[in-house]
Amino acid sequence: MTNSKKINKKDIGGLLKEWSQEFTVFIPWRESGVAMLDKWDGTDTGFIDWYRNTVKPAKANFFPPMEEMFRFQKGREGYHIELPLDEHKQLIFGIRPCDARSLAILDMTFTESYQDPYYLPKRNNAVLIGLGCLKPYDSCFCTSLGISPAESTDVDLMLTDIGDQFLVKEITQKGKELIARASQVEEATEADEARAKEVRKAAYGKVTRRIDTKAISEKLLSCFDNQDYWEKVAAKCISCGICTFLCPTCYCFDINDELVKRQGARFRSWDSCAFPIYTKMPMENPRVEKWRRVRQRVCHKFEFYPMNFGTIACTGCGRCIRLCPVNWDITQTLDKLPG
Amino acid sequence: MTRRGTVSPIIRMSTNIATTPAYMVELGSSIGSIYILDLAEVRVKQESEWEPKLLGFLCKWCSYAGADLAGTSRKKYPANIRIIKVPCSGRVDPLFILKALRLGFDGVLVSGCHPGECHYQTGNYRARRRIAITKKFLEYMGIDPQRIQASWVSASEGGKFAEVVAEVTKELKEIGANQLFADEK
Amino acid sequence: MKNREMEQRLRHEAKTWLEEGKVDYVIGFEPGSLKFTTTPLITKDKDDIDRLVINPFMVNNLSVYLTEIKGRVGIVAKGCDSRSIISLIQDNQVVREDIIIMGIPCPGLIDLSKVELWLGRDRDELDDITRDGDRVVIMVDGKERNFSATEVLFDNCLSCEFPTPQEYDVLLGETSSLVADKIASRDKIKKLEGMTSEQRWEFWKGEFNRCLRCYACRSVCPSCFCKQCFVDESQPQWLLPVPRWQDNLMFQIIRNIHVAGRCTDCGECERICPVNIPLRSLTKKMYELVGDLFHYQAGMDKSAPPVLTAYEYTDAEDFIR
Repeated sequence: MTNSKKINKKDIGGLLKEWSQEFTVFIPWRESGVAMLDKWDGTDTGFIDWYRNTVKPAKANFFPPMEEMFRFQKGREGYHIELPLDEHKQLIFGIRPCDARSLAILDMTFTESYQDPYYLPKRNNAVLIGLGCLKPYDSCFCTSLGISPAESTDVDLMLTDIGDQFLVKEITQKGKELIARASQVEEATEADEARAKEVRKAAYGKVTRRIDTKAISEKLLSCFDNQDYWEKVAAKCISCGICTFLCPTCYCFDINDELVKRQGARFRSWDSCAFPIYTKMPMENPRVEKWRRVRQRVCHKFEFYPMNFGTIACTGCGRCIRLCPVNWDITQTLDKLPG
Repeated sequence: MTRRGTVSPIIRMSTNIATTPAYMVELGSSIGSIYILDLAEVRVKQESEWEPKLLGFLCKWCSYAGADLAGTSRKKYPANIRIIKVPCSGRVDPLFILKALRLGFDGVLVSGCHPGECHYQTGNYRARRRIAITKKFLEYMGIDPQRIQASWVSASEGGKFAEVVAEVTKELKEIGANQLFADEK
Repeated sequence: MKNREMEQRLRHEAKTWLEEGKVDYVIGFEPGSLKFTTTPLITKDKDDIDRLVINPFMVNNLSVYLTEIKGRVGIVAKGCDSRSIISLIQDNQVVREDIIIMGIPCPGLIDLSKVELWLGRDRDELDDITRDGDRVVIMVDGKERNFSATEVLFDNCLSCEFPTPQEYDVLLGETSSLVADKIASRDKIKKLEGMTSEQRWEFWKGEFNRCLRCYACRSVCPSCFCKQCFVDESQPQWLLPVPRWQDNLMFQIIRNIHVAGRCTDCGECERICPVNIPLRSLTKKMYELVGDLFHYQAGMDKSAPPVLTAYEYTDAEDFIR
């Protein structure tokens, strides 16, 4: 007798169909060659065999690239404000451990000292079904940050690919209840569990990129003023926004109003500290030089966030390395920190 | 009143046109989208027939004066045009043209001095190139090139200006309303 | 073979220039941290020079750094890059005397996304990629797969007219013979030209729904050197930073018009777009339009005025009333 369950891969479609009556089901999907979490069309289950992470991170489902905060109309009596409440329940199938951890990291910003009314309902209503990676990218370095590519406690159910089936581990009560009603789910055998263990170990071993996070905050603190080092590090950055937009733990946003005459709306959209105008103010721009912006990004993730929240704001997903136009590599920067 | 600094102030609202909005100002239902909000209004006929909205960039030295002459000579031309005075047709960045289309204008007219007569010598030559490339490129994108019009109108050609506006308005009526940037409902 | 010799010469020259104080910085390519990638090397230090490489993956257009680096620069440039440099000189953004151009006659670069599409595998799952004239040999899963270069080179490489740099101080290697496929490289544009107006607009609408407004296309483009881009203006605010397809489309249209006559079709914008928007279908078309309307090619003549600031008395005005 084991504690785990399992499900045949060919039954996943049926299960998702059942779940889609209660949830909006999101699956990893390729649109025009771009992998992202997309609404399931209800039939195609080709995504089940895909073994790698998406381009667009899971944060996009909770903190979307653009979000309407409210609409307003000015009438004779004053302003009439409409708040679009987004309470639809999401079920995300196939989220990777790094992205699942990123949500836990984002929670610290969006839910602890200030409860973000846009993020919270989505987060509370979502069910995460994690899927272990079989073949991490050569840019992945999750293992250096205490994350396993194959296991996660940040999801509701954790799936491991053991061939024609997935081994299912119940992580939260929500997850337990979800599969309690599922007819396609069976008990797993000891052989299944052993196989899953092998698969996880193999995946863990395939993550070859590593960084040393020991005392990383202190190291960064000590070389903060080393302008020569940071200028050299930042030289090839082109200050686009790709690393920040695709980073699952980056959360900066911009707020803009659009209004005409007596009506309008306020939007929130992704912003990037890499943009030169990010810190531009009427009198000055404290980060007008590129090396300051690059330094800020590295220090925010590996020094300031740990100082404030106790955890490094990076999950080692490697998107910044893989998708950077000039292959700027944060692991190389952290490796070569002086002093 | 519109708030400065938050609304693109390239168009000053004329508050003494007693009109009703030709288009409904709708706020789209999908998250993060606003149906394009129209700034200009057109006097609506009794039958509520759709009238195209034309934005004119007229150069101060020639075309604007020409339009003024059309007015003082009591030449009739359709009221569909809204005029912005620019110092020279060369001032017109294709950005203005596209922004006008984005805002919901059905057509844009750029009018300047005849070649050789530009007050700034060469401004209209550059306008000529810019409008040529803009028309062709927008056609490739899927925007009807007839929405972008150009003319040379000198300060003494009041009659020509009236004709140009009438012709352009007629063409725009045939092409139909600009729904390019509208969201699907 | 030839690459090795060129590399030796490149390193030797670059070292000499730094040692003799002819330049403050050297900008070239070094191996990236991922398989089959190169990354820009920008250095003042002659000890770094041995990392410079020449290989079939040196995709970056290094001239993008010329507008931000202060000092004299020794820069490695392929054919398209050299034309970007000339374009910058035409726009008075770069002083010719401040740069030393090490030209590389380019045989075309391998498009990894095409390779990935053909093999159904990702870049890091491949063992080796080598270019041999008009053939490309890829080792994957221990087996050899052969491709014709026309199947795996970048589209803009396949339609390249000037693989040898137009402007250089040192030319590394001989003029390369082109592997061209002008028909195939224009496939996407041809398809669009065959659609109706409405279909084209719908196509672009669909594509730009994915745009995140990361501005990578703008940042990587050497021709986008404006200190204040029109999207960053707030008085007047032409566009909101909000990534609605309407604004995304408007951004890209205007960006293309603004760089008309400056774009040399280096293809970087399309390569780096994280959401795979076919930007070259816009830039290349603009390039063609500029050629048709004004008989002008970007980056060929240092002393020519930029195309949209120039004029001919005989410019067409059949569209003007």
